[in-house]
Amino acid sequence: MSGNSKLNIRRRNLLQGGLVLGASQIASPFIMTARAEDTIKIGWDNPLTGTYAAPGKNELIGAKLALEEINAKGGIAGRKVEIIVEDSTSGDAGTAVQKARKLIDKDKVNFLIGNVNSALAIAMAQVSNEKGILHIVPGGHSDTMTGATCHWNVFRVCNTTQMEANAIAPTLIKTYGKKWYYITPDYAFGHALQSGMEKACTALGGTKIGGDLTPLGTTDFSSYLIKAQSANPDVIIFLVQGDDMVNALKQAVQFGLDKKVHLAGAQQELENLKGLPPEARVGNWVMEWYFDQPNVPHVADFNAKVVKASGYVPTSRTWFGYVGIWTCALAAAGAKSIDAAKMAKALQDFHLPPEIALCPDGAFYRAGQNQLISNLYVGKARVKGVKGPDDLFEVTSVVKGADVAGTLEESGCKMTWPA
Amino acid sequence: MQLILFDVFNGLITGAFYALMALGLSLILNLSGVINFAHGGFLALGAYLSYTIMPYTGFFGALLVAPVLTAMFGLVIERFLIRPLYGRDPLYSLLLTFGLAYIFEDGSRYIWGAQSVPYQVPAYLSSPLSTEFFFLTGYRVFMVVLVALAVGALFYVLTYTRLGMRIRAGTRDLETVSTLGVNVRILRNLNFGLGIYMAGLAGALAAGLLGLQPTIGTSLLMPSFVAIIVGGLGSLPGTLLGGLLIGVASGLTTVILPSASEAIMYVMMGLVLLIRPRGLMGEEGRVH
Repeated sequence: MSGNSKLNIRRRNLLQGGLVLGASQIASPFIMTARAEDTIKIGWDNPLTGTYAAPGKNELIGAKLALEEINAKGGIAGRKVEIIVEDSTSGDAGTAVQKARKLIDKDKVNFLIGNVNSALAIAMAQVSNEKGILHIVPGGHSDTMTGATCHWNVFRVCNTTQMEANAIAPTLIKTYGKKWYYITPDYAFGHALQSGMEKACTALGGTKIGGDLTPLGTTDFSSYLIKAQSANPDVIIFLVQGDDMVNALKQAVQFGLDKKVHLAGAQQELENLKGLPPEARVGNWVMEWYFDQPNVPHVADFNAKVVKASGYVPTSRTWFGYVGIWTCALAAAGAKSIDAAKMAKALQDFHLPPEIALCPDGAFYRAGQNQLISNLYVGKARVKGVKGPDDLFEVTSVVKGADVAGTLEESGCKMTWPA
Repeated sequence: MQLILFDVFNGLITGAFYALMALGLSLILNLSGVINFAHGGFLALGAYLSYTIMPYTGFFGALLVAPVLTAMFGLVIERFLIRPLYGRDPLYSLLLTFGLAYIFEDGSRYIWGAQSVPYQVPAYLSSPLSTEFFFLTGYRVFMVVLVALAVGALFYVLTYTRLGMRIRAGTRDLETVSTLGVNVRILRNLNFGLGIYMAGLAGALAAGLLGLQPTIGTSLLMPSFVAIIVGGLGSLPGTLLGGLLIGVASGLTTVILPSASEAIMYVMMGLVLLIRPRGLMGEEGRVH
């Protein structure tokens, strides 16, 4: 290349480079733990990179804690348990499915766990169902997973989007107004959550006055915010998640929108609040689990273990991962077998023990839907922590999951069991 | 109409930022023929360094120091990793920088964590300057002024200094420049450092506007490549124009068809390649 009168880089090289960059999205690294043949294997297919890396990593912290506890108590069916970890990426369903197949076919895992991203979780569920593997979804919220496309082998720990919408909508309507504008991520989760919010809003007399679907991984929300403000809503509803939530809220507050309209949404995560500068920690939200529950038994112990392991207080995601792995052990113990169908049967209407449920009203997998029903924590973001730097959310009411879950018929789940 | 006007202005602000990043990328590409896929990684490094040193130096101190530290790191990378690949097929340096991009992203994740970190700009900069033009925040105006100064300084250096003239000459004919006694190794090294300085500055500025997370650079890399192709490979003014055009087009598309706001830049790129393959300001015959 040295010393030519013309550039030896062709435009084609640059375009080829672009293609390589695109292809890289499916070529992410994977990590494996040490394995032995006689262990029970749990396949972990969840984001470690991309916009959902932070929630994915916190789920893994909870999972590893559960793994330690399970092994300390003798493992599953008397065998040691190990987790084989794969990076599903944050948004590439092809990679997530490819990794799920690898975990099941090559690694011969007994359980499959994942995914934070609903679209990826739904795609993985097709594979796990085809292979007859017990599949736990710790943190993908789209309703259909335990609704219209439910499977006998797929259990979900986090709430449905409709549950989150039903939990927050009354507060927003009563306190802040009926005209809502949505900023929604353009994939399965966002569509489901907006649909849930619209349904809950309409039922309470509210209206949608506009909305935008934003591509996952959007960094610059300024144009969307300008559009939202010009629609003159009472509330701008932010349904984006992960890094997108941080970008959107940070820019909204820079524009001073928090002083003109109310900023709120359904799902909020401690990971996002910690990543925001103090002035951008605003709005009303739902947390699906919160570490500051002084009156709930075992929560303090759990918090202490997570702080010891990671240096940080647990988030909803840590709890999802913890419950996800414990569900595998509890299912096997209940069924006295590691046969997927028998374990799935054992989990119908199964109540988690209080040291795993870690919420005031307990938690159980609703029969016929495989959806965990626990508590939801409605409240608002805090500029500064009260009980420590991470206490960035003020819980104003704890909602019983059963009160916002709707009926089994409303979920649309028609479970078909294997013969 | 007002909304469209807002979006044009807003697009120009965003575009100025794309341009800053693309100019650094373009500098390196023009002289050394390296398609620097790690440019986003250097941007993230600049942002994280700025975040890390801010408690000691303050916001403005961090803005001054972090890009310099990033550039110094760039000089080391060029000297030990990229220099051995000059003279080989561009694919080698492309693959190297591609790998470096992964190392940068995962390295950031390892050191600073997977979740966003709270990067704070001074309170007097982080509010709108007027109620009506609320998208004109103090920080955005400051950023545009700084980008304009940085771009102006870059063009001044390239036009009026000995180093700049050598870089421009080297871009056209590196062999002759070498024959005339210019140390091409040092020239390439300094030019790489200059490009990385732009990335570091872009990173330190971006962190005040966007969330600071390990992927901050990756998400801004593609618009910068597109800016170079649209503006014309080999032309720095073209790169500047390309960045601004992309910003405005993306902003305007959000008004009409939000879901296409990212796709629009690729549509623009496709159209430019079809109608004027050398780019809007690329010289004919400069690239083959």
